[in-house]
Amino acid sequence: MSKPEFVYTTYIETTAEKLWHALTDGDFTERYWFGHRVASEWKVGGPYQFTKQGKPSVEGEVLESDQPRRLAYTWDACSADASRERSSRVTFDLEARGNVIKLTVTHDNLDEGGKILRDISGGWPMVIASLKGLLESGRVLDIDPTAAADKEKACA
Amino acid sequence: MPKPGYIYVVYIQAPCEKVWDALIDPEMTKDYWGRHRNSSDWKAGSRWQHEDYDDASQVAVAGMVIENDRPHRLVLSWARPESLDDPDKVSKVTFTIEEQFGSTKLTVVHSELDNEMLRGIGAGWPAILSSLKTMLETGASLPMTRRRWKSGN
Repeated sequence: MSKPEFVYTTYIETTAEKLWHALTDGDFTERYWFGHRVASEWKVGGPYQFTKQGKPSVEGEVLESDQPRRLAYTWDACSADASRERSSRVTFDLEARGNVIKLTVTHDNLDEGGKILRDISGGWPMVIASLKGLLESGRVLDIDPTAAADKEKACA
Repeated sequence: MPKPGYIYVVYIQAPCEKVWDALIDPEMTKDYWGRHRNSSDWKAGSRWQHEDYDDASQVAVAGMVIENDRPHRLVLSWARPESLDDPDKVSKVTFTIEEQFGSTKLTVVHSELDNEMLRGIGAGWPAILSSLKTMLETGASLPMTRRRWKSGN
């Protein structure tokens, strides 16, 4: 049986360079990624890390960095109950479609039924909606994803 | 074996009612849904169809309204018009519209698909729903979704 993967595609009215910048610049990610700043030199084999209010949230190794077409990194969530799972992988593919960029986020190498799969299935649509909103209209999504996750648990 | 399903979630900065209306208002669908319109009286049990905005005789998709609970839930059966009587070829689309933290979460579940339809809609829904979000947030849809597609959806 194939391992679970999460794929999310959207179309954003922007340029590939602007979208690449939005994915790799800490000042930018902090605005739409619910306070998480990314830092890296974006060299293959080098490290990257997301921090929120100075505390590490996600980290890993840069696997591919083909500006502005493809970015891939390993994904290790820095929380106690996620640390038992192995590294997963996130790949961003950016393709021009006229004046619009098709963005495909693939999160794979996930543990079946693990906490990370649950978290990211709810998380990516929020992050990408917020990113798209910031690039197109200057408005991010005003959602606290931690609170949103708690709400979904309460509903389940 | 269960038939494959498809799910897409998008968050839109607009009220639930506005998202609901955008799904069925021809003047809005023509701009983000490949110059098509969805026509029906939208009562449960009524027929609906997805047709060319400029030529209603060109019907790409047809089905029945299964559930209508404005502005939170719309359930439609979904088939090529020539396959409406073949249960194996009739799929189901559920739109769920919920308020979340001042934003609207739209979830589209397309279930009971055959493999042919799964291939078609897997490319279609992200483009349509991305453009719907853009249109409601900026006032203008994505240009590529204002034109007709080669195939229906």
